[in-house]
Amino acid sequence: MAEINKMAAEIADVQPGIQVPGFSLEKYKYLWSDFMNGLWSENPVLKLVLGLCSTLAITTSTQNGLGMGCAGLFVLTGSNGLISALRKVIPGKVRIPAFIVIIAGFVTLTDLTMAAYTPVLYESLGIFIPLIVANCIILARAEAFAARNPVDRSIMDGLGMGLGYLLTLTVLGTIREIFGNGTVWGASIFGENYIPMIVFILPAGSFILLGLLTGFFNQFTGSKKMTSTEVGCH
Amino acid sequence: MKGINKLVIALTAVCLGTALILGGIYAFTRDTIEKQKREKKIRSLKSVLPPTDNEIDKDYIEIDGGKDRRGNPVKVILYHGKKEGQLVGTAFSIIAHDGYSGDIEIMMGVAPDKTITGIEIISQKETPGLGDKILKEKWRSEFKGKSLESKTDKGIPFLDVKKDGGGIDQFSGATITPRAVVKAVREGLKIYERASSKS
Amino acid sequence: MSELVLLFMSTLVVNNYVLTKILGLCPFIGVTKKVENSVGMGMATMFVITVASLMAWFIDLYVLSPLHITYLRTVIFILIIAALVQLSEMIMEKTTPALYQSLGIYLPLITTNCAVLAVPLLIMNKGFDFWETLVYAIGAPAGFYLALMIISTIRENLAFAKIPRVFQGAAISLITTGILALAFMGFSGLIRE
Repeated sequence: MAEINKMAAEIADVQPGIQVPGFSLEKYKYLWSDFMNGLWSENPVLKLVLGLCSTLAITTSTQNGLGMGCAGLFVLTGSNGLISALRKVIPGKVRIPAFIVIIAGFVTLTDLTMAAYTPVLYESLGIFIPLIVANCIILARAEAFAARNPVDRSIMDGLGMGLGYLLTLTVLGTIREIFGNGTVWGASIFGENYIPMIVFILPAGSFILLGLLTGFFNQFTGSKKMTSTEVGCH
Repeated sequence: MKGINKLVIALTAVCLGTALILGGIYAFTRDTIEKQKREKKIRSLKSVLPPTDNEIDKDYIEIDGGKDRRGNPVKVILYHGKKEGQLVGTAFSIIAHDGYSGDIEIMMGVAPDKTITGIEIISQKETPGLGDKILKEKWRSEFKGKSLESKTDKGIPFLDVKKDGGGIDQFSGATITPRAVVKAVREGLKIYERASSKS
Repeated sequence: MSELVLLFMSTLVVNNYVLTKILGLCPFIGVTKKVENSVGMGMATMFVITVASLMAWFIDLYVLSPLHITYLRTVIFILIIAALVQLSEMIMEKTTPALYQSLGIYLPLITTNCAVLAVPLLIMNKGFDFWETLVYAIGAPAGFYLALMIISTIRENLAFAKIPRVFQGAAISLITTGILALAFMGFSGLIRE
């Protein structure tokens, strides 16, 4: 990942002369790094430890993880874009309530759409769809990024963070489904005699698994600064 | 004062805009949501009955189903499944109150000869991997064709878990859940008998 | 009456918001490094949840349901919570500066605590009457407070343990929480919801 970033940077550095009006490599470099930032180096769940409730509560299967991830991705990208577009119109003092209403609007939109077109998924996600409103990732990105940056960068940030969230949820869901239920996407893989490790689909197992994943992720990304220790939802 | 006005206007505009857009989306999705709910109901009704060809969710009677824990009267709605005008079974939902961690809602179908045509678990909060084995098709099919009169080899009423002498499997580590379901199914059969003896 | 006592115990331990329902995790991991922070966060959250849930219950009964706009619940409830948080911050700052000193910094974090929104939403789903709402709205945050106290006491001790570098902070807290959740599973089946 870092290599791609570097390549993008190099391209932009080497060819500063190419300047088609409305198209600048500089800009795309920014957009790309905004995107990768959320997906990897500041992964909202594993690195920033945000949005844990939905992450842990619904990832009992790949399908649920993917569904919730898509809902989160949509709300995050949409609200980031809209908030960024309105950032100069909304006065600073009522910023937070206005952001929350916009986010809640997107969430209700998702809620109604899912109820209408994906009823099975809607039922298994239950109360965690309306609770996306209170997902710290979304308000945190609105406040920290969308309120200060132009629309295109905010959308890229939303997409990156959203995909980071989606991927983490899908991975967690898949691991929990394989061990806790012996299936992948509902199809049995270990045969009839496999005794599922129930703990993986219980709340307790989700805590332990995410704890281990966070640890491994820290090892993998080799960060010296443990950001995760000092984060709540600011 | 002017500053405050601006704040109020901005916030009101955001709220009104959101409410208006959501109102539109609600109006747009309402019918589909209603349709989905109806289809789901029909699916669960049909799943416990032999093949039917009537509009099953519109062919029903309401009967008195005793009282719930708070003492409020409970209505049981009996849906009639018909094939070529002939009654093939009645489907209704009942609630088992003594599950391990909450109510279990069960849909059950009964043939005119008072035998069970099938049961389906509509909602439950039992422990994953233990109590929630009641969701398995194999376990639920043990009820098929049984009635209150059915006996095991030893002449004991069949509709009980094996631990209590009956013929329905319990699961190792989870007896309470299947026992609650069996009990509720027996209650359901009694309600059905009372209703059919009246009419 | 005994129903209400059972409901209280059920929301407090059997269906503990953090350890069995997996709600309110951000502050649970975020501010529990010290016991005194947990006390502040727990108290502030209790106040907001109880008041916001009762307000939400009344507004739903007298405004949303009669107008058939219950689909706006999420929007309205989160607005109630945000407004309540802002108001109590302002009032607290003016009237009791001492209390504001200790609780004030936690108030803004409450808006994004999903347990706060979950309580009124679940109350609506369950169709509770007024007294049940009151008991539930006190029991749920009390359970949250209990969980915060337990984990922060453990974390104060964890500070002295030798933990691999990559597991320090959130990772080890999550694993500890997992073991706690296993212990709390022992309560399940004690009281039926």
